[in-house]
Amino acid sequence: MAAVLHEQSSVPGSHTVTSPPLNNSSHFSAFSPFANAYSRFSSWRAALSLPNPGTVENLQKEVKTTHLTNFIFDGARADLMKGLSMDPAFQVTHSFQLASQSAPPTYSFGALFANAKVLLQGNVDHEGNVSGRFQQNWSTSNISKVQAQLGMQPGHTMIQLEHDYSGLDYTLNAKVINPSPLDGSGIYVGSYLQSISKSLALGIETLYQRAALDQAEMTSSYLAKLMGSDGKWIATAQFQPIGVLQATYWHKLSEKVEAAADLQVIAAPMRRDAIATVGAKYDLRMSTFRAQLDSTGKVSALLEQRFAPSFAFTVAGEIDHFKNAAKIGVGVMIESTSLTPEEMGMVPPPGQPHF
Amino acid sequence: MPSEETKERVVRAIDFGRTVLHYGWIPFIIYVGYTRSNPQPSLIKLISPLA
Repeated sequence: MAAVLHEQSSVPGSHTVTSPPLNNSSHFSAFSPFANAYSRFSSWRAALSLPNPGTVENLQKEVKTTHLTNFIFDGARADLMKGLSMDPAFQVTHSFQLASQSAPPTYSFGALFANAKVLLQGNVDHEGNVSGRFQQNWSTSNISKVQAQLGMQPGHTMIQLEHDYSGLDYTLNAKVINPSPLDGSGIYVGSYLQSISKSLALGIETLYQRAALDQAEMTSSYLAKLMGSDGKWIATAQFQPIGVLQATYWHKLSEKVEAAADLQVIAAPMRRDAIATVGAKYDLRMSTFRAQLDSTGKVSALLEQRFAPSFAFTVAGEIDHFKNAAKIGVGVMIESTSLTPEEMGMVPPPGQPHF
Repeated sequence: MPSEETKERVVRAIDFGRTVLHYGWIPFIIYVGYTRSNPQPSLIKLISPLA
């Protein structure tokens, strides 16, 4: 560009003739420093080779799978799972649950279909409440998700639309819950997580809540994730300026043992509270054992024992020492398939979209 | 600002969509799974918990 300008200015006669294209090119060159700087910046950024930090939703995934809070149940339950096809994956589930202290007996039917691009999942219980999930993987970095809950009563409906974008060293996520096209009410969540170094990622999550009568509220929370260089440990923190802090730590002690700790502190003017939880998970050859202890006096354990590839037995127990209460749960899970071993294929099924 | 009539129509359309989704989502998954599965399963195996 500079050479061209130089050449033209050295010939005075041609100046008037070439002035419109010259103007044009100088207009264009006004942006070229920015384009140059941007391309230099992005190549510098690629040269840092920072890892992708993972999504905000999965920030505490390791801790959640180690702790048994999401897996515990009481009463009796039976899950009959039937695999009808491996590629694409198609399975139906019948689950029965009864004798729980807190919930009435339920029956629910679930169906799942997944291939490399699409995931469809649905669940309906005996009262007719439907919950569903739909996920579309546009590419490895763009994933759209829809989640819905449709109750029999008009008020019990929830829909959530979500899009995930994973860049080279950052993740963006946008979420809309119950949007109304008429008055724009709903909950809007945006989050951004960026790797700062090989082991540290920082992020922000902003929630904008808009009620029907032009009342809007915006809250942000700040996220940090620190990883060990060998992937053996992960520490995360999430802080909300109203005075809520959640910190977690997960450590893989060996191939078979993982331990996790979680601390939640609420220091709002109205309410002050803190809960600490520690837990461990043992992955043995035919079983998984989880044990957990928390500062509210609860001790709980969950054992999943697989007697055969298609039959698993689960025992869960929880004792609340402060309230003098106990819960116990027993479950069976039977997987049956209509496929012969040849049809199932000895090769593992192709990557299902993870969820 | 949309008129009252448009609002009414949008509300009715959303209601209708919700009803369709409520009753159609599970049958839709079963239909997609049944037609795309390899090999195609028999219908009785699909519905009954015991077969």
